[in-house]
Amino acid sequence: MSDTLHVTIKVNERSVAFDVPLTETLLTSLRDRLQLTGAKRGCNQGVCGACTVMLDGVAVRACLSLTANCEGQSVLTIEGTGADRAIAALQDAFIEAGALQCGFCTPGQLIAARALLEQNSDPSVEEVQKGMSGNLCRCTGYNKIIDAVRTAAGKLHA
Amino acid sequence: MSAPFESVGRRVPRLESREKVEGRAQYIADLYRTGMLHGAILQSPFPHARIRGYDLAEALAMPGVHAIVTGDDFAEPDRMGAFIKDEHALAKGKVRYVGEPVAAVAADTEAIARAAAQAIRVDYEELPALLSPEEAVASTVHIHEEVEQYFKVFDAGSQGNLCSRTEFSEGDIERGFRDSDLVFENRFETQAQAHVALEPCGALAEVDPQGRLTIWSANQSVFRVQACVAEALGIPMTRIRCLTPRIGGAFGNKMEPHVQPIAAALALKAKRAVKMILTREEDFEMVRARHPFKIRIRTGVKRDGTFVAREVEVLLDCGAFADDSPGVLGFGLLCARGPYRFPHVRCHGRLVYTNKLRFGAYRGFGNPQVSLAGESQIDDIAEKLGMDPIELRLKNILRGDDRALGGQMLTSNGLKECIERARDASGWASAAPVPASPGKKRALGFALCGHISGLLASGAIVRILEDGTAVLNVGANDIGQGSDTVLSQMCAEALKIPLENVAFVSPDTDGSPYNWGTTASRVTFMTGRAVVGAAAEVEKKLKQQASEMLECAVEDLELVPGGAVAVKGVPEKKIGFFEIAKRSHWFAGGPIIGSHSWVYDRPTLDPKRAAAIGLPFPRIGAYSFSAIVVDVEVDEVTGAAEVKRAWSACDVGRAINPLLVEGQIAGGVAQGIGFALVEEMVWDGARLANPTLMDYKIPTTREVPYELHPIIVESHDAEGPFGAKGVGEVGLVPVPAAIGNAVKRATGVRLFKLPFTAERILRGMLGTKQ
Amino acid sequence: MDTGLFRPVSVAEALALLARLPDAKLISGGASLVAMINARLAEPAALVSLAGIEELKQIAEAPGGGFRIGAMARHRDLAAESRFSGTLAVLQMAAAQIANATVRNMGTIGGAVAHADPGLDYPPALVAADARIEIAAAAGRRRMAAAEFFVDWFTTALQPGEMVSAVHLPAARPGIGLYHKFARVSGDYATVSVALTMVREGSAISTRAAIGGCGPTPLMLAEANRLLSGDPTAEDLRRAGNLLQAAADPVDDVRGSAEYRLMLIPRMLARAFDEARLHAGAAR
Repeated sequence: MSDTLHVTIKVNERSVAFDVPLTETLLTSLRDRLQLTGAKRGCNQGVCGACTVMLDGVAVRACLSLTANCEGQSVLTIEGTGADRAIAALQDAFIEAGALQCGFCTPGQLIAARALLEQNSDPSVEEVQKGMSGNLCRCTGYNKIIDAVRTAAGKLHA
Repeated sequence: MSAPFESVGRRVPRLESREKVEGRAQYIADLYRTGMLHGAILQSPFPHARIRGYDLAEALAMPGVHAIVTGDDFAEPDRMGAFIKDEHALAKGKVRYVGEPVAAVAADTEAIARAAAQAIRVDYEELPALLSPEEAVASTVHIHEEVEQYFKVFDAGSQGNLCSRTEFSEGDIERGFRDSDLVFENRFETQAQAHVALEPCGALAEVDPQGRLTIWSANQSVFRVQACVAEALGIPMTRIRCLTPRIGGAFGNKMEPHVQPIAAALALKAKRAVKMILTREEDFEMVRARHPFKIRIRTGVKRDGTFVAREVEVLLDCGAFADDSPGVLGFGLLCARGPYRFPHVRCHGRLVYTNKLRFGAYRGFGNPQVSLAGESQIDDIAEKLGMDPIELRLKNILRGDDRALGGQMLTSNGLKECIERARDASGWASAAPVPASPGKKRALGFALCGHISGLLASGAIVRILEDGTAVLNVGANDIGQGSDTVLSQMCAEALKIPLENVAFVSPDTDGSPYNWGTTASRVTFMTGRAVVGAAAEVEKKLKQQASEMLECAVEDLELVPGGAVAVKGVPEKKIGFFEIAKRSHWFAGGPIIGSHSWVYDRPTLDPKRAAAIGLPFPRIGAYSFSAIVVDVEVDEVTGAAEVKRAWSACDVGRAINPLLVEGQIAGGVAQGIGFALVEEMVWDGARLANPTLMDYKIPTTREVPYELHPIIVESHDAEGPFGAKGVGEVGLVPVPAAIGNAVKRATGVRLFKLPFTAERILRGMLGTKQ
Repeated sequence: MDTGLFRPVSVAEALALLARLPDAKLISGGASLVAMINARLAEPAALVSLAGIEELKQIAEAPGGGFRIGAMARHRDLAAESRFSGTLAVLQMAAAQIANATVRNMGTIGGAVAHADPGLDYPPALVAADARIEIAAAAGRRRMAAAEFFVDWFTTALQPGEMVSAVHLPAARPGIGLYHKFARVSGDYATVSVALTMVREGSAISTRAAIGGCGPTPLMLAEANRLLSGDPTAEDLRRAGNLLQAAADPVDDVRGSAEYRLMLIPRMLARAFDEARLHAGAAR
């Protein structure tokens, strides 16, 4: 009887097999085992949002997901979004707008913004504020992030 | 000014944007080394206790444990501290706050390291705990029994639990109050605020084959890390190399050491690389926070509103170690007069050790606290005199030849413009203000401040590579505020080359010129001046080469855009940097290197005007200014205040990069809103009660107004590089007072204690005791 | 095997696992449990995931009106549930104010309700909505009024080996349901919350008000509801607020002092009531 569980998950389109303890989080597995360090550990409690990734197409907190509980599911991290049109538009918009400073929250912001735009392709300022209230930023004061999300939205559904 | 600028003044996206949006930026937690160990810390459970001994047997026996360090691994004299050297790398002989690092373990995995740390037995003998400055100052129990023997960089006057005391005075304060028609006195209190950079503190220490330490860490100064590790481990600086990965915000938390000396000691003992990343809880409990201030402010004025006298007395909670506290006391007092003409001033205060987490550098460095007091009281004075609060301020602000407190000259002063532009943009004087929503009260509030950007030392080196492009090496960390980009823009501008032809070197104590640190809003001004100086030296050498190549006098030459030197008025007669570089490398003169280093040298004090006792920094200056109007709504049911709109006008001398300046202003305002309305570290006895993001809340997208308007004012400072001064802190400093003033104007309630929680405002509105 | 992650496909299988492994923990959305694991407050050797049990994921209209909400229904889906109209909107509003969008993708009503954190948004909303909690045990299923299900701080009526399988909502009645929450910042647990349903049938008004964040369990008083029903005067409203205030037992914590919470009860109740009456179209 081993202390680890064998789990197979698709990460950024590639099938990956893990042998993980029951209580290992997806965040730890992504960072420490796969060196996918774009998702960050800001609080390990699900509050700050820096660990946000997509799981089966839905934005989730990697720090609150157990790898062992993700058998057969599909994870998308910021590193796997190269071909994603929405992320590309958001990245360009974030850069132009100055919507990032230290950059630590940025991958999580981008994933959350992408999820928001999937639900609402033309969000108002207030809708962006509500949709992204779960991603903390200590550097920017948020207004350039809001501008960037709306600029990307405009570009995507032009 | 001939041609317009190519780089300076441009809204260039920060140079490292791509890597950050693609998730490739490497922060300290993202660094891995083959075979590295993980470090974990055992924290003190007691606020004050002697350490009688350690039992490491069980911990050492755990499989996977490689090394353990305790206070016994550090020598008694090896203490660090920016102003007063009172701190070892780990608690030695005594613990002084709950959460203090007592021992550390390096093990194969983080889980093993943490389990082993918990298996360390420490024999404590509890001592009485002193949890407030008042309690500590009255007690015969001393937190630092040898405080009088500690090395100090200034006349601190340390005694008992008094860590330091400082006083500034100008004129004759008693006469000033006698000459006043009205005298106002109030007391204010501010709380401990946590930095909450999204990235917790961490370090990675390794030992190279020569036995030299290499330390990567989340830090605001590779040079402070190097110095502190040298002091704490008792090893020469030549044996320590400090580097920096990308940094996930700092705001003062990472200016002085956190776990670097501990990680370094583990790496030396285990002879393996050791990585140690703090959890969010440890970051709250173990590092540092903003000083709680108690402020008594007494201001005398003439009936026509002329300011006559101001006395400010402060009492600071130092926490368990001095850290940057003497500086915060001194700087806070220096700012306590505000950027106003007061013929008679006395600002004095004490800093007292307590058995709590050390308090240290935090954006604003004492200025937000004293500005709360001064700017709130001025509004009340205006009300009493029947004057508009902005008019009262305009009447008294520094202008022309007026000096800052102490006698500092102002090399530029855009304060009046800041006030007017914030006032006009907000519609302050409008007869028809925006009405409050149903069930709310609403009003505008105003406050202003001055803040410095010049202190201590910076250097820069610019080299021309073989292909004629340039390398800029400054030793100044970009902590997210954008200095890599801004300094590169200055270098590109000075040499008239495209920005992409400047390579920016990451700070490295082995190769970079000294920079005290990225703090105190100083990098644009101090390091920028060094960059401009270094580029000027390079320009001189380029012209020397070109004069030989073109056979003309150096005075006849000028730099032209694109990277070339040409004869003035004869643009066809030019030599490109590439040609010059070839010649310099292979033929004559030698590779072109320019450098400049300087230390801010304008004295804080003009002894003919002011007197000081316990001045922690003798040379400080270069004032930026800010004025802010906030539009605040207060909910009549809950008392909750919300900032709906804000206009922050900041005099930055010149905006080298307006996009990044806006970002700093907005970020400062947001952090100021958190400080003003919501954030508070709460102690339950000796223990921090809310060391998590569940319990300690910072503003989300919904607490910061989208309509946050940064207004850039440019006063073209005579001494700043391209006229630029700092912006990092001015956005934050006046925010709490502005919000307090808005709440007063909306509800009639004047609050004297931060944060202005809904509870406090509601109690105020109901007239119940706070 | 007594350790590891188990994925039953039926409630019966889940219960059998709980019986066999008394130290195993159930995991639905995982949000609360994994946060506790990360903080080293829980170290389960075995977990029973409910993610594979289809009946738990359904939000189904009950014959005769009302809804059966499976325990695995996510906050996100309840927040967007347009079928929760009239008085049932109280639950939709409460779900919409939980944490933030990403956490709402993960958390489930069953997990939240079983956790019984008094700062949560569901408990007062479920009490005001007159919801019933369906408990699955080896011996069978039973339902219990929400008000009886929440017993104490982090304590429900669940016995060892039992699990929440669904939440039942009665048929929507004409009128309004609303959920007002005061918190320090968006997404924080409530300092105080008011869940209110107001049924309007003809000129008759029947109101249920439950207060959250002010004690170990949601607070609702029959006498206060009586005062808030019919055609309440300002004095009735004041007395209802005072009754609730007197019965509340809040704590001091970082979200607010006990005294402040007590102050808020009648004030927030009045605001919620006035808004409800406005939208339910009452005369006064």
